[in-house]
Amino acid sequence: MFKSVKLVAVLLAATMFFGTAVAGEKYKMAYIARAQGDSFAAWLANAIKEEVEKNYPDMEVTVFDGQSNNETIGSHMENAVVNKFDAILLQPFDTEANRYPLLQAVEAGLVGACVNVQIDDPRLGNVDANPYDQAAVNARAAIDQIPQNANVVVLLGPAGNPHALGRREAWEDIFFKNRPDVTIVGEQIANWNKDEAMRYMEDWIQASGGKIDAIIAMNDNMCAGALEAAKDAKLGKLFAYGVDGTAEACLLIKDGDMTSTSLQSAYDLAEASVKLVHDMLKGGEAKVIMIDCPLITKDNVDQYIEMHQRAGAL
Amino acid sequence: MSSGEKFFRFMNSYSIYVILVVLMIACSLASPNFLTVQNLTNVSRQISITTIIAMAETILIIAGMIDLAAGAVLALAGVLSVATYVATGSLILALAVGAVVGVCCNSLSGLVVVKFKTPPFIATLAMQTAARGAALSYTGGQNIYRIGQYTIFGQGYIGPIPTPVIFMMAVVVLTWYILRHTRFGRHLYAVGGNEDAARASGVGIGHTKFIAYAVSGVFVGLAGVLYMSRNNAGLPNAGAGLEFDAMTAAIIGGTSFSGGVGTAMGTLAGGFIMGFLNNGMNLLGVHAYTQQIVRGAIIVLAVIWDVYSKQRRVSVDKPVEVKSTQA
Repeated sequence: MFKSVKLVAVLLAATMFFGTAVAGEKYKMAYIARAQGDSFAAWLANAIKEEVEKNYPDMEVTVFDGQSNNETIGSHMENAVVNKFDAILLQPFDTEANRYPLLQAVEAGLVGACVNVQIDDPRLGNVDANPYDQAAVNARAAIDQIPQNANVVVLLGPAGNPHALGRREAWEDIFFKNRPDVTIVGEQIANWNKDEAMRYMEDWIQASGGKIDAIIAMNDNMCAGALEAAKDAKLGKLFAYGVDGTAEACLLIKDGDMTSTSLQSAYDLAEASVKLVHDMLKGGEAKVIMIDCPLITKDNVDQYIEMHQRAGAL
Repeated sequence: MSSGEKFFRFMNSYSIYVILVVLMIACSLASPNFLTVQNLTNVSRQISITTIIAMAETILIIAGMIDLAAGAVLALAGVLSVATYVATGSLILALAVGAVVGVCCNSLSGLVVVKFKTPPFIATLAMQTAARGAALSYTGGQNIYRIGQYTIFGQGYIGPIPTPVIFMMAVVVLTWYILRHTRFGRHLYAVGGNEDAARASGVGIGHTKFIAYAVSGVFVGLAGVLYMSRNNAGLPNAGAGLEFDAMTAAIIGGTSFSGGVGTAMGTLAGGFIMGFLNNGMNLLGVHAYTQQIVRGAIIVLAVIWDVYSKQRRVSVDKPVEVKSTQA
């Protein structure tokens, strides 16, 4: 009996030793997604997981769901410190609320970086696409496309969200200031959601007597929702702009329903952010890296549809 | 009966419809676009999914229960239904899958409530988390696009009437029939009104509760199909918080959270009140934040009216105390 217990104990100890030794060879990175229920956040999380598995044999990633809740995100970061992760890659939900727990983790010796939204601090790496530029490429194109004295509707992202604010600012600076003839017949916060945007658009179509010439949305989801309502009301050809370059938006552009969007490529964000964290783990410095946000139109949409097909999103 | 008591009794029975009419008049005065056929069709379509969920909540709340998982089960039923259509091309099968998933999830909640005496709040909260997780896990958090003819459920028309409105009316009539004309409906009121008395009268408490969850599951599953179809995509994050909008419609419509009170027509009126409020505020360009404040105020007023009318009912119906007089 005693011999059996001893044998089991030895086997357990050996397993733990080898397990720890094997695990110890790899860097452990915690990726904390803003919310796995958000389709862009889920796309980014999947892209980061794939990037690590494909290109970084000396690294492993565990994905945590922040559930759009700063408290939950903070807890994940505290747990990452306790569980001896080597790095935290965060998709911030609120830059100020998430700053303190992330810097606490950095002070505890972990590498800290942000992706998709920046937290300004010299100790943190950041990989982002500039929200102003994302909207600016659309707004510049719209100046010549949207007809004189047009009626437009504007769909906004969540209040206080830096990307929502930056994109709206670009439309104001580049488009609305240069096109005083354009009238905004409806502007509301649709929280990045397709169904909320659809409801607002249905009501705006009534309120304006169907006289809407363009949809200016701060993301593709909301643009697609408004287009569903326009389709049902048989409004005919509209100019419609979004941001993100989602698979749905690419299909809408291909079909001629949507005018343009700018790509916020989760693959590019994943590639750059994982490389940055890996470099920082090897002693590299914290940097700010901005990815490109190319304009997607009917002329070049095929290559992006192909990209989504390769990724299994279509 | 005094005229004040008559007025109170009238208001107690019909106040919701009076409020609905007053709201419609106010909105039509404020916006010339409100009282048009197209706008009323839009509002009916906008409230259809919430109202179907509200019917499910009405059945449960009357029996003294609740369903916090409706939004998440809607998402799971919807994405599985969409996936079924994409895989098989069969609309009937896709509709059936949506309903079956709704029934399975809600029956499981009902089983936990009945067998383990778990509070419905806890059981359905657990289901909410699990169903949302299952929907996200199945889709990898990604939306499902290219759903083809599946949109016929949510974007189609039968004559001039949008299909979601047809589905909503069918669910309202079915709920009305269940509550007014079936033994199961009477049992729901009995269980919610006084569970001990219902048990003493021979009502199968567990059976009634379980069936209530199963029936509500059919409605939630159907709502899931309509939601995805209307949005032209399978959205695993759909319906977050939808159960609260549905409960709001039920409560405004006179369903009492203490159980035993509520009607299908009242809930339908509650749904229309919420729909007209949202629509009217959008037509007038009221900011999204202000809209939330107004909605909050409406809920509080509805609950205050519920409590007040109950107190008045007790005082009006109280037997007259006959004082003994000594000769």
